[in-house]
Amino acid sequence: MHILKKVTENKILRQVFFIALLLGVWQYFVSTGKYSQLILPDLGSIWKALVDSIASGEMGERTGYSLYLIGKALAIGTVLALFLTALAMLSSFIADFVKTITTIFNPLPGVALLPIALLWFGIGEMSIILILVHSIIWPLILNTYTGFSSVSRTQLEVGRNLGLRGLKLVSSVMVPSAFPYILTGFKIAWSNSWRSLVAAEMIFGASGGQGGLGWMIYQKRFFLQTPYVFAALFVIILIGILVENVIFAQIEKWTIQRWGMVVQKEN
Amino acid sequence: MAEKVHIENLFVKFEGEQGNVQALEDISFSVNDGEFLTILGPSGCGKSTLIRSIAGFQKPEKGHILLGQKQVHEPGPDRIMVFQEFDQLFPWKTVRSNITYALKVNGAGKEEREKIAEHYLEMVNLKDFGRAFPHQLSGGMKQRAAIARSLALNPQILLMDEPFGSLDAQTRAVLQSELVRLWQEVGSTIIFITHNIQEAILLGDRVLVMSSAPGRIKDILDVNIARPRMPETPEFMALWHTLYGLLDTKRFGENGKGNVLPGRD
Repeated sequence: MHILKKVTENKILRQVFFIALLLGVWQYFVSTGKYSQLILPDLGSIWKALVDSIASGEMGERTGYSLYLIGKALAIGTVLALFLTALAMLSSFIADFVKTITTIFNPLPGVALLPIALLWFGIGEMSIILILVHSIIWPLILNTYTGFSSVSRTQLEVGRNLGLRGLKLVSSVMVPSAFPYILTGFKIAWSNSWRSLVAAEMIFGASGGQGGLGWMIYQKRFFLQTPYVFAALFVIILIGILVENVIFAQIEKWTIQRWGMVVQKEN
Repeated sequence: MAEKVHIENLFVKFEGEQGNVQALEDISFSVNDGEFLTILGPSGCGKSTLIRSIAGFQKPEKGHILLGQKQVHEPGPDRIMVFQEFDQLFPWKTVRSNITYALKVNGAGKEEREKIAEHYLEMVNLKDFGRAFPHQLSGGMKQRAAIARSLALNPQILLMDEPFGSLDAQTRAVLQSELVRLWQEVGSTIIFITHNIQEAILLGDRVLVMSSAPGRIKDILDVNIARPRMPETPEFMALWHTLYGLLDTKRFGENGKGNVLPGRD
């Protein structure tokens, strides 16, 4: 039982084992023949759908469009959030205003704004961007503001002592000092907006012939091309894992872990 | 000797919810060029407020703080403060970059910055730790790095607010003698805050004793003991007792931890 011991001890091997187990269960239910391929396609045809859609360029186009939307929204959201947070730091009056609107809007799921967005902006990119920006700025403001407020007084005074003032003090001392909070804000903003995006696309569908992964899922279900639905789901999961466990984890390793600003995670 | 810092009739008041507190009342004294002045007082006597006023972090109610001929209004690199807190180094910069960055802000060129940083790192015995991040250093090393950063800026005066207050006794003793060596080498002017009588005598050319509520100057004593100073010598013991007598003993007994007779510390 040498191999079994190895599997139970190694973390990555363990994860591979669990995934294999899940796939095995899936394939077992398919092989019972009780379920239609339209409801539960076998792993082979899902794989084929994935390869096909990648080869035809469809998957790349859909993924690209989704990432384009989220990238645009992240850029707008970041600028807006930093601007509002900077304003809030300037006076306690504005801070109360920003805190109030953040408290009001933060608990509101982006998808809940869909009907309003439709009424105001119609079907199209504008409406999706609005929802994404909504799901990005509030957690970002909340975390950045908390981060700025928790900057060590000593470090701020060292900065002023060196001769730093105003924006230079913000960019050279406050932003790096609050970086663990800002990064957390970005993580929440990303996962909020990624989830909102997929949901929004299913309702808005394509705008001007374009559409993202959410739209692809909706469309393929409509044409009963179930393997393609699962292929798109697979890509959504993959991107989620990539961003959260690879990109953010790397940024964390290069910054706050290297700087000793976070308690290293126990594995 | 030329006067470096001149303080005249300084008053500082804190406005709080439970009324106003007179933190400092009518403080006047001077520090000469190249002098090492220690300020001794019990916790809460306003000694930190005094040094923070000189640094420009605390706005006085009235009075004057003059650096040379110049009135102090705001913090500036001509008066560099070394804090008690270990987090005074920027954690996102290496020890060396903490120094070079401070120099960069003050307009030093790249080559010059590196040269100066190297020099002061060597001076505080941290040559091999330039590339370490602050969280990798011990408390004593962090304080040394902070002192190196401060000296590198070549300030008119070095303000030290109980920089060794959070260190263990052995490390503190080492850093005390190192500070005296640095001061003798560099020839800087230093104001050093402490609540430890032994530390005040070990370091200072003069000891300024404060009393609390409101914070006033009780006395300023010369330390006429040759360096290096040994706590066991009779002169040291005598001065220790004089200072102990000057301190507001009732208040001091509650707050002044760590003040035992020399030799037993």
